[in-house]
Amino acid sequence: MRTSDVPPAIRTEHLTKIYRNRLIAVNDMSLLVPEGSVFGLLGPNGAGKTTTLRLIMGLQRPTAGRVAVQGMPCGPNAVAVRRLIGYLPTHPSFPGNLRPIEYLDLVGKLCRLSAQQRRPRIASLVRAVGLLGLTDQRIENLSTGETTRLGIAASLVGDPPLLIWDEPTAGLDPAARRFTLDLIRELGKSRTVVVATHILGDIDRICDHVGVMHAGRMVFSGPVQDMKRRLRPDDFCLELEGSGENVRRLAEQAGDLEGVGVRLSDQRTLAVAVRDGRPRAAVLAEVLQLVEPNRLALQSVHSGRNETEHAYLQLLQEDEAHGFQRFDIPSRRGDDAAAGDPSA
Amino acid sequence: MPLRAILQHDLRNLCESRIVRLWLAATALLTAAIVLTNWAETPSAPLVAMLLFPFLVFPWFLVVMLLGVNPTSGARAETLADGFLCRPVTRLECLLGTWVARLLAVGGVYLVVTAPAVAVVVLADRPPTDDGVTLYGIVAALGVVGLVLALQVSLGVLVGILLRRSLLAVAVLLLTWFPVNLVLHTFSLEQYSPITLSQRLPALLQQPWRAEPEADTATGEDMEALAQQAAQFLSVLSGAPPQPAKEPGFFDRAAIDDFSLRYVVLGYGIPTLLSIGLAAVCFHMRDF
Repeated sequence: MRTSDVPPAIRTEHLTKIYRNRLIAVNDMSLLVPEGSVFGLLGPNGAGKTTTLRLIMGLQRPTAGRVAVQGMPCGPNAVAVRRLIGYLPTHPSFPGNLRPIEYLDLVGKLCRLSAQQRRPRIASLVRAVGLLGLTDQRIENLSTGETTRLGIAASLVGDPPLLIWDEPTAGLDPAARRFTLDLIRELGKSRTVVVATHILGDIDRICDHVGVMHAGRMVFSGPVQDMKRRLRPDDFCLELEGSGENVRRLAEQAGDLEGVGVRLSDQRTLAVAVRDGRPRAAVLAEVLQLVEPNRLALQSVHSGRNETEHAYLQLLQEDEAHGFQRFDIPSRRGDDAAAGDPSA
Repeated sequence: MPLRAILQHDLRNLCESRIVRLWLAATALLTAAIVLTNWAETPSAPLVAMLLFPFLVFPWFLVVMLLGVNPTSGARAETLADGFLCRPVTRLECLLGTWVARLLAVGGVYLVVTAPAVAVVVLADRPPTDDGVTLYGIVAALGVVGLVLALQVSLGVLVGILLRRSLLAVAVLLLTWFPVNLVLHTFSLEQYSPITLSQRLPALLQQPWRAEPEADTATGEDMEALAQQAAQFLSVLSGAPPQPAKEPGFFDRAAIDDFSLRYVVLGYGIPTLLSIGLAAVCFHMRDF
């Protein structure tokens, strides 16, 4: 089979959800999630991420448009589609009176697995998500992180090729968050993973594709690198150690360099903007050569702002700025890729 | 397999729930109180009918309907969606699983309490003379009351799905269940009324195996005794003094002369099936 014959993991066309003619949760959204990708669905609170995922799951009916998972249409009774999906809701709520293994066994039965298939899989999952020491606890006694890990295990019981996780790192402590992100990265090697989040750092760490939602619309969909490329090439920051006087002198000298703009972010941080198309590496090398002569020590060099965050905020600002032009943008501008049109 | 899994899970939850345990205890206490207070005086048929009265009219229909409403309304419905419907489960399987679990739980409480009490009342050597209660009559009476409970559960599920709010659904059911007797009277369908059914139970209990019920099988004393006991029961619950004997009217004997077990079974069975069918359609159409 040629690559082009492989249907995308998820495809939505003109997906729209309006609640009781009052609230537009998803607005004419077209989306394509490539097979085998780790796809980050990014957006501020209320952007429509959870509604989109629930529409994909068939838990809600679209007002207009359609959804297909691996080429199969979704709906309330699309059992065959849901066999392909492992779903983790935001802040999952499980029957508190059950123990983790009992719950996973129930999920296994719901996934129509025989006892012979269920038991070894549950045993390995409990071990994989680190719940081995908690198997005699009732779910109501588990912490948020442990409950999320149980939800992750539950989403994997049916061994689905597509995982849809809605804010899996919400409310987790740093260790649990790191565990979850590492797990997503690992699972992404063999499955398609869709992660809805508003935490940009997570997207940067684990996703290769991203969809940015704003006010129910998909304002960008494509590889993470493409989103970053949409940024204007701008600045990087130097964190320095030394007297403020020396830092100011360094700023003056750097400002005299060709194609370089400099400003002091604070007393110890120098923001350097690259202009006139000069290579960033060359500018960086020239600025670094000035550090030692000014009796300063370099502590760190990093991009002026988090690139993903910057790109994300820029996309949201652009979307806001479009105003009425946002009406039917893809067909008018032919900018299908930017709007996440799957035909692009 | 998912249907059985949901059924087992829900049944377990119900067995562990406080409301079911309290209901079981209260039912057992009330049944014991009725049996003990009427042990020496009331014949078997009216006494068994009195044991079944709380399930037919008041107060247990409230609990039964509440159990029906619960899983399909409010926050429980969201949990249901995230827990079950996001798995490879059809909505019909999900609804049937929760419905059957509730039927089993309600039927379990009902039979666990009433069946032994009925057995004790009928088999024990008591002062009142034997009034000819038959095994068929007992099975038929228990079955008919079970069918009424099934209708109550199904109505609870349906109204819970339609209204989505538990308290509102219970209030609507409460305001529907009692006036339905008057509505049935208006259309000359008293035999389908729960109150009429409770009055007719002594006759049904004395009915022989596979015989068509005679209109006047129940003796006048039986009917009178049951009417008095029902009035006494309601007056104890409400704290009001017992009502004086009424003139023949709404629920007089003439109104229930055309009582037919077959029609009553159909009269409760068809609405039960219609309720759950309609609930399945509404559940299928629902957004979570």
